[in-house]
Amino acid sequence: MSDSSTAGTKMTTPLLVVDGISLRFGGVQAITDMSFDVNRGELFAVIGPNGAGKTSIFNCINAVYKPQQGSIRLDGTEIVGMHPRETAEMGVARTFQNLGLFGNLDIVDNLMLGRHHLMKTGFLSGAVWWGRAKHEEISNRATVEKIIDLLELGNFRRKPVGMLPYGIQKRIELGRCLAMEPRLLLLDEPVAGMNLEETEDMARYILEVRSSLDVTMIMVEHDMHVVMDLADRVMAVDFGIRLATGTPEEVQQDQRVIDAYLGKAS
Amino acid sequence: MARQSPYLITNYSKDLRLFGSSWRRAGLLLLAALFIVLPLQLDDFWLSLLATVGIYAIGAIGLNLLTGYAGQVSLGHAFFFGVGAYCAAWFGGGSAVGTRDGVLFLDLPMFVWLPLAGLIGAALGALVGPVALRLSGQYLAIVSIGLLFVGDWILLGWVSATNGSQGLRVTAEPAIGPVNFSDLNIFGSAFSPEQGEFWFVWGLVAVVALMAKNIVRSRPGRALQAIRDRDVAAEIIGVNPARAKIGVFALSSGIAAVAGGMYGMIVVRTVTPETFTGFGGLVTSITFIAIIIVGGISTISGAIVGSLVVVTLRQVTSRFVDVLPFLKQTPNDDGLMLVGQFNLIVFGLLIIIFLLAEPLGLVALWRRVTTYFKAWPFSY
Ligand SMILES: Nc1ncnc2c1ncn2[C@@H]1O[C@H](COP(=O)(O)OP(=O)(O)O)[C@@H](O)[C@H]1O
Ligand SMILES: [Mg+2]
Repeated sequence: MSDSSTAGTKMTTPLLVVDGISLRFGGVQAITDMSFDVNRGELFAVIGPNGAGKTSIFNCINAVYKPQQGSIRLDGTEIVGMHPRETAEMGVARTFQNLGLFGNLDIVDNLMLGRHHLMKTGFLSGAVWWGRAKHEEISNRATVEKIIDLLELGNFRRKPVGMLPYGIQKRIELGRCLAMEPRLLLLDEPVAGMNLEETEDMARYILEVRSSLDVTMIMVEHDMHVVMDLADRVMAVDFGIRLATGTPEEVQQDQRVIDAYLGKAS
Repeated sequence: MARQSPYLITNYSKDLRLFGSSWRRAGLLLLAALFIVLPLQLDDFWLSLLATVGIYAIGAIGLNLLTGYAGQVSLGHAFFFGVGAYCAAWFGGGSAVGTRDGVLFLDLPMFVWLPLAGLIGAALGALVGPVALRLSGQYLAIVSIGLLFVGDWILLGWVSATNGSQGLRVTAEPAIGPVNFSDLNIFGSAFSPEQGEFWFVWGLVAVVALMAKNIVRSRPGRALQAIRDRDVAAEIIGVNPARAKIGVFALSSGIAAVAGGMYGMIVVRTVTPETFTGFGGLVTSITFIAIIIVGGISTISGAIVGSLVVVTLRQVTSRFVDVLPFLKQTPNDDGLMLVGQFNLIVFGLLIIIFLLAEPLGLVALWRRVTTYFKAWPFSY
């Protein structure tokens, strides 16, 4: 910490560097030679029409898919070739476009699962319970309860989350990400399928998370208002190719983006 | 605001208690009272039936961890149950049925051989576990039947250890140090074997149930349920599916083997292949599946409730085989079908009825009824 120059460069280097990745599924070219950086503390949005390859980008950062070319570095560490669960340990958390919650478990268990990689109890110490398991449950539970408070989820505590309304489930999934104590948060269409009120709620929670936690975010989103309101920078993609990167205003005015996406959408 | 409501949960330690509410504590007291009093009240037929119920409940708790919590349907459970039963004879003490010499028997004390049986079951489960990584759902169910036939082949072929189809007599006693539960003597009053064995079996049911409950409410058990519900999401939050699946396979097989050891020692006293492997093993495995489906999938208490219903039904039909004209004990008797075939039909029907009408079993039904009455008269 005393070496201010290295601390300084660490602060100015991007958290995530995606460098020339290409991803193919048989004959389908999902991503073609794509590069972008995400800075620390930034909210970086990815926009593009359906099938443009946005979710695939997340799946590469998460190591669910392995791009055939290129590299992805988080704080200098190569992610390509890793196992998905190792990205969790690296501090990558992610929500799914169609929800990735554990439907039969309640909110507390879903959020506690977000802390799985931060906990140690195994089958044996779990069976004994007294001692490590109980201690670990209590201390992690305290963190989880703070997140439940932050996202105002307290009213739904003991129901299987699969039975809760869609908007609430989206919020629980955000909560599970926060429970992971991520450095990089990937939000795949966080307001898709929501009505106006739910959308405004979610936008408020995303801002709340930004201001109260030190986390970098990448958000894939169709809702242009949300993107323009929340994002620091935007990358537009189409057919797996990057069209433009810049501030929301710049991207909105980019002719290729207007042709490919905005023009068609409006 | 000076006084807190006594119902307000003020810290997580309290919230994590298994018997937190006064209702639950009352239930626990009632169970403890039944545990002490039942052996003093019931006759030996019902006591030995309840001991069998308890032993099946232990095995079913193991299967429920695998099938209910981790979502891995296995029909191979009887194989591991059998491993434990043979371990009872090999390590706890036994003799070959008939004239065969040279089968090696150790006379280890129960506190050594019963855990050893569990470990051997767990080790075999861990060996088979990797197959479960590649398969799931109905594929695993079908492949696991193969285990029953491999088991049959081993038990019938490895005659020098298993005595083939004639099987082994189990002479092991349920004794811990000087306390032999089959010959219990407390302060000068002697108890029947059935009384002592009831206490022993249900004491162990309580221990196994508590350990299983602890697992499912802490990190490893949550990981199993996460994989069952959403495997990709489980992986990206850091769950290692291979470790969890092999772990639960080992655990469930180990518990099955402990139950099997008790079954060999207390229920049958003679172990033969037909209960554990081949077609008979399939019937035993289906019995376990019927237990967890009737009682309640993914609940620990469901395994116990289910065993109470299914095993009682089974024992009662074999007891009243003479009275029921359509049943027969051996193929040469009069009657429409064998008791075993009848049981298979009944369990099959029970499985289908419950999956259609109450997929979460009797425990869920009970919970619905109690919530209804808790909210009464406002329930609708
Ligand atoms: N697992 C997969 N197998 C085959 N093709 C896939 C797979 N995942 C994505 N794709 C294809 O990659 C392209 C990009 O998909 P996706 O990343 O989901 O787009 P978006 O999230 O932008 O709507 C699509 O053509 C899609 O069909
Ligand atoms: Mg998508």
